[in-house]
Amino acid sequence: MSQSLHLVARVGGAGLLFDAGRVDSVVEVGHTVPAPGAGRAVVGLAAMRSRVATVLDVSELFGRPAMVRDGKGGSAVATIVDGHLYAIAVDLLEDVATFSLSAAPSGLGAANDWDFVTGIADGAGETLLAVDIDRLVARASALD
Amino acid sequence: MDDLLQEFIAETRETLEALSGEIVGWEADPRDRARLDAIFRFVHTIKGSCGFLDLPRLARLSHGAEDALAAVRAGDRVPDPALVTAILAIIDRIGEIVEALDSGEALDDSGDALLVAALDGTRGEAAGRVVPERMVDLSANPTRAAHKRSVRLSVDLLDRMMSGVSDMVLARNQLARHLRMFDDPRLEAMLERLSISVDGLRDTVTRTRMQRVESLFSALPRLVRDAAGTLGKSVTLTIEGGDVELDREMIELLRDPLVHLVRNAVDHGIEERADRILAGKPAAGSLRVVARQAGNLIIIEIIDDGRGIDTDRLLAKALGQQPARAAELAGLDDEGRLGLIFEPGLSSRDEVTALSGRGVGMDVVKANVEQAGGRIALSNRRGKGLSVALEVPLTLAILNAVLIEAAGTRFAVARQSVDELVAVDGNAVRVDRVAGGAVVLLRGKRLPMVSLPVLLGQGEPARDPRFLAIVSLREGRFALAVDGVHDTQELVVKPAAPAVMRASIYAGQMLPDDGQPILLLDCSGIAARAALTFEKANEEVVETATTEAIRALLFDDIDGARRMIVSDAVDRIEGVAPGTVRALAGGLWLTIDDRSIPVWAGRGAVPGEVRKVLRLQLDGQEMAYPIADPIEIVPLPDEIAPGADPDGVIAGLAVIDGEPIELIDPLALLHTASATTERPMCLLHGSESGWMEAFLKPAIEQAGYRVVRTAPPGASVAIALAIEDDADSAPVPALRLSRQRGAPLYRYDRNALIAALKERRA
Repeated sequence: MSQSLHLVARVGGAGLLFDAGRVDSVVEVGHTVPAPGAGRAVVGLAAMRSRVATVLDVSELFGRPAMVRDGKGGSAVATIVDGHLYAIAVDLLEDVATFSLSAAPSGLGAANDWDFVTGIADGAGETLLAVDIDRLVARASALD
Repeated sequence: MDDLLQEFIAETRETLEALSGEIVGWEADPRDRARLDAIFRFVHTIKGSCGFLDLPRLARLSHGAEDALAAVRAGDRVPDPALVTAILAIIDRIGEIVEALDSGEALDDSGDALLVAALDGTRGEAAGRVVPERMVDLSANPTRAAHKRSVRLSVDLLDRMMSGVSDMVLARNQLARHLRMFDDPRLEAMLERLSISVDGLRDTVTRTRMQRVESLFSALPRLVRDAAGTLGKSVTLTIEGGDVELDREMIELLRDPLVHLVRNAVDHGIEERADRILAGKPAAGSLRVVARQAGNLIIIEIIDDGRGIDTDRLLAKALGQQPARAAELAGLDDEGRLGLIFEPGLSSRDEVTALSGRGVGMDVVKANVEQAGGRIALSNRRGKGLSVALEVPLTLAILNAVLIEAAGTRFAVARQSVDELVAVDGNAVRVDRVAGGAVVLLRGKRLPMVSLPVLLGQGEPARDPRFLAIVSLREGRFALAVDGVHDTQELVVKPAAPAVMRASIYAGQMLPDDGQPILLLDCSGIAARAALTFEKANEEVVETATTEAIRALLFDDIDGARRMIVSDAVDRIEGVAPGTVRALAGGLWLTIDDRSIPVWAGRGAVPGEVRKVLRLQLDGQEMAYPIADPIEIVPLPDEIAPGADPDGVIAGLAVIDGEPIELIDPLALLHTASATTERPMCLLHGSESGWMEAFLKPAIEQAGYRVVRTAPPGASVAIALAIEDDADSAPVPALRLSRQRGAPLYRYDRNALIAALKERRA
């Protein structure tokens, strides 16, 4: 369908595509400070230069078990949604490449729970899911 | 108002610049709809602002242009070259006037009418004559005084500047820590200099974001005046705390809600004059708008003394609209019913007025305030007034924060809300376990305790805390148990992400020098989470329970005796300025607000010595009762022994704290007052009325009459006074005065005259 630059990352085994235009940076998150009482997807807060990022674990949204939280951090995709800086924790950052997306299968897209998946693309022997960052963050924030 | 004007000038200038291209384009192609719309919006905005800022000249010009452009948009007129020229001439003139406004110069307005007239197609040639005039004006431009220079910046740029400075402060602090390891005085001096300039820069940048809340309030006096004028009410507006500073963006976000709330207060809250007097309130409504800073919040309160919100009516209306919710609505307590006001489509008032009833309700106000990250709280005293508190966070403020530790994590608490920090080791403080919670006994005072580790789900409830932070909120005080106390730091507070704020115990996030983020705790959120109830809340319950009892004001009377009066009869206690109580017309009168109120003189009040009075008001009658000092409000005892008072103003005796106290009967007081206020009219009749007025008026007034020389139509004249040989017959039976000394009513016999008049009155 459309050709655009995407960042390929792995979350709990699923291959995800992030629109490169919406990715602020790719970061190594160090120590995270817990935020007790916050939503279940909130791993904690981490400093990125002079800014504070909210670290989110979105694996549950893809039906995967939550990441191990040892406070040591790992790779993350940094993005700004509604003026707030988020770091979406990922297991692995694989590549930046141009993909042509096709529409998500109707069975998937129609289900409201998966509205953050906007399309799919073929990867090396697997199907990659293109995600809408705004909806992904909103969904993750709503988990309790 | 000056700020508003400056803003208007800057905005207009900016739009004019942006518009100049459109104008040229429109001139080339008058049928270009998009450009026409842009120009229309410009003049429309100017017109709107002018009415508000009281700039009649600009209003006239923009109004004329708007009318003509509206006709073009509607297709009623063709944009011929004459019209285009006329519109352009007006826009140029608007630009000139705005420049003149800025430099404070007067601009000749002789051409204005001509410009507006030129819009009328029949006088198209007039526009041509105007243009050269404009050229002359422009040529005078360079000689104008330079205006105060200002630049408009986007908030985004300011944000970046602020975060750059924050970075710099962080780097400075890290540098300072490292340099402490070297013992070099020269290095230290250099660092000191850098430090001072960084701090200065930070203050300046912070100030660019802040604005005095005054700029939000400056439009209110006019708004209240106009709103009250339209409705025929009188309202006294008091503004306090205009010097509190708030984020510029926040000020913009609060502008609409504030205007709406103030309008609501004038329109729906404050009653008509007559209703107010009946309710025993001063005829002029009082509206207070108060801003203050409390911890990490700015609180703006709008307090009126009107009728408050009728929650029963609100409930009835909600039931009428949504019968399906009957069960839920029936279970609401008073606070829940009050909360209905925030539901869309509900208002406690049925009629739509010219001011507020336009479909924008409290639901919109609430949404706006919440969008600003704030809260709205109502305190309703039915029949006595409503107080609306807008609490908004200081989003980009530097906060003095106490860093504490709980559950292995550091948190911050606003320094302003912490009264003291107490270590639980000595005997100064004791923690008592009570059912389901704990209380702290500190210097003889009991405070509820909230354990932060337990609240965060990581502590054992039974363990005694090591440190207590005594937190003081508006609602009350409580002890927050924490595991450790670090230092105090000045930090920039930034809003936290929604996913974090959901915990409802955080107010924001901050990043200290060491680069480890810290969450700022919201102490009132914590109190709410822990379901704390404060003593004050209990007091309120007591108050509502005793409102049924009649209450009385205890005071020291001017003769030294302690007396009391039913407090409902007292409109207010008023200090009396020297010289305003005077002995006149056989009684004492207090002059206040250009009116005279009779003063009760039964206790031998001396005009010069009255310092305080109770102003009594019942059913439109007024009187002042001089007192020495008010003491307190007490519940009126059930048992009152009837009194036998010769003056007739003592209703009886009641026992307060073991002392018998006389209870004043307000009805008796007002009865004696009405005798003096309702004076019968005495008409001075015939050819000698002028003489009588000059000589006899004081005597007649002393006898309790009001003196007139011609009877006002419709008024009933009680008695007429005439000289005996005057032929004219008076409209009512007349007392005839004799010119003969020794006659029964000799005209110079004052005592006889007074006696005769009094006899007639009786």
